[in-house]
Amino acid sequence: MPLAITMPALSDTMNNGRLVKWTLRIGDKVSKGQTIAEIETDKAVMEVEAFHDGYLAGPLAAVDSEIPVGQVIGYIAESPVAEIAIAAPAAPAAAAAPAAPVPPIPPVAVPPASGVRASPYARRLAQQLGVDVADLSSRQGEVHADAILAAARRAPAADLDAGPPYRIERVSSLRESLARTMAASAATPVFRVTARLPLGPLKLTAKAAQVSLTLLLARASALSVTAHPLFNAVYTPEGFARRERVDVGIAVDTAEGLIAPVLRDVAGRKLADLAADWAGLRDRVNSRRLVPEDYRGATFYLSNLGQFPVVDSFDAVLPQGAAAILCVAGAGAERASFTLGCDHRVLAGADAARFLQTLAEFLTDPGTLLGAPD
Amino acid sequence: MAQELLYWQALNRAMDIEMEADESVFTLGEDVGLYGGTYRVTEGLYAKYGEWRVRDTPISENSFTGLGVGAAMAGMRPVVEIMTVNFMLLALDSIINAAAKIPFMSGGQFRMPLVVRVPGGVARQLAAQHAQRLEHTIMNVPGLRIAVPATPQDAYWQLRQAIASDEPIILLEHELLYFGKGPVDLMADPPPMHRAAVRRPGKDLTIISYSRHAVLAEAAAVELAKEGIEAEVIDLRSLRPIDWDTCATSLEKTHRLLVVEEDCRFAGAGAEIAATLAERCFYSLDAPVRRLAGLDIPTPFNGTLEAQSIPQVADIVAAARNLCRSTPGAQAA
Repeated sequence: MPLAITMPALSDTMNNGRLVKWTLRIGDKVSKGQTIAEIETDKAVMEVEAFHDGYLAGPLAAVDSEIPVGQVIGYIAESPVAEIAIAAPAAPAAAAAPAAPVPPIPPVAVPPASGVRASPYARRLAQQLGVDVADLSSRQGEVHADAILAAARRAPAADLDAGPPYRIERVSSLRESLARTMAASAATPVFRVTARLPLGPLKLTAKAAQVSLTLLLARASALSVTAHPLFNAVYTPEGFARRERVDVGIAVDTAEGLIAPVLRDVAGRKLADLAADWAGLRDRVNSRRLVPEDYRGATFYLSNLGQFPVVDSFDAVLPQGAAAILCVAGAGAERASFTLGCDHRVLAGADAARFLQTLAEFLTDPGTLLGAPD
Repeated sequence: MAQELLYWQALNRAMDIEMEADESVFTLGEDVGLYGGTYRVTEGLYAKYGEWRVRDTPISENSFTGLGVGAAMAGMRPVVEIMTVNFMLLALDSIINAAAKIPFMSGGQFRMPLVVRVPGGVARQLAAQHAQRLEHTIMNVPGLRIAVPATPQDAYWQLRQAIASDEPIILLEHELLYFGKGPVDLMADPPPMHRAAVRRPGKDLTIISYSRHAVLAEAAAVELAKEGIEAEVIDLRSLRPIDWDTCATSLEKTHRLLVVEEDCRFAGAGAEIAATLAERCFYSLDAPVRRLAGLDIPTPFNGTLEAQSIPQVADIVAAARNLCRSTPGAQAA
């Protein structure tokens, strides 16, 4: 039975030793106490002595390699053999019991091959999105990115069987896309800041200039965004996407569901042009002729529940693609409620406060909103 | 102002401008003088610059390429034309043992401002000994640079850059590209010689190719777009060095890679591209990297078989489609 030679612990701080040289060759006769190798520790070069009589046998650890304490570096055999067949590693550490106790061989940290067939990109996405790849793979075989994304998007299903009988009613594609958008937004870390601001002057101005209050609110928001450009940025894994134009998505309540047509360049164009665009968008909303270009790509959102006097204040889900959404309510009161929902990856509370302060100035002196941009 | 030029005309303009600007620039090779070059690249230069600067040589590739090496060591800027890449095999000693090694072995004491212009690739029924691609052979030689212009503009830019460079540069020109037309802006600033070009942006897969097959890949991308597959096409422009950053950026966007080459698949340029990008972009890959390449056979003479032996536009379309379809929902991701 060949006996293993292990890397000895030559000091209590030693984790690894470097094998400097073997002083004997494979097949050489070894007697107990004889030097068989030299080891360099973190402090000095020391000799390794044989604890048994026999013949040095391989496989020998390579010279100049760093070897953890306790690892087998060679064997002492009863007869001269070139190499020990190490089919079953039969507790070699037990045989070598030097003065300093040898710690057990540390387990090798090689993760087992999972047998899960998934692309590297799918695995990376699964890790980021907290999706169980093994589960997906067991159900559908080879897993690619699309399956991970679909699984991440899928909301946990409600437990319908426990309740009363039900029927499934297909919803319009608008509502379906709304559900998707909202679910996708759920991962955004949002905080809210509310301010009570005067709406009276803006109402008077709208009436006098014969423009819609919503349009003026959008204009005031866009100019405030221009003053605080971070509000026009959106978070991406690569960095902030800073947009060169303020496009305001305005939430509109329709029989089919919520939709937010987008008014383009609200800070940079003449109010009359914006009014014409807004009228066109309203028409297309009412006639259900909105095309994707009409409701995609907003950089800021506005939601106004001012026409419902019972609503005191509210906040909204922040759609993806924007850093903030402004929610207006309680328009009947002397001061309306303005709640700003912000993406905390881009903005902080003080940013929101500064934005609302700028907005307050526009609302107090709305005359500036009517003028052409400079 | 861009003008429409044929590929050979663009090279001819580049030669003319460089020869006029610098007396140390000269060209030599078989039939470059009186005949004006097999593909007309040196047309008119013999009359304009005379027989000292436009030298006709005997059929002696290793000797006249060696002459170019010596001239470059002595401070000249030679442009050696080897009639086809097939004959370059005879000049490999001058190219590999001399041009590529002398700057290194002399510790930089000798520079090597040598340009070797070589037509190559599968043209029309020239048979196995005249229809080779040898990029794999020279790609494996440290010390060389290899430019593979696919457009007249790149041919113009890269030849001028090669002549201006102090490093030995092989310009692999494709025989079927010489009579292709394209816009050439003689005054525009060129990108760095090794910079890859994104010929067409896309999101569903990246197709990397070079030389004539970069042109075919672009045509394939147009077909793919009709099926709703948006392929990003990268023309490498340089095979040594390769602009890995441009490739990796694209792959991190599309997550799928198809490498297209005319050369044989085994141990070719595509193998290097696939291996390096698989190493570098492993966690971005949503499908195994695919290579579409020439068959592993000498090019057949028979026209039908010849066409079958290298990837055509329809083959690129089919390979790209397969790559996207094998990962369902490609367009959703």
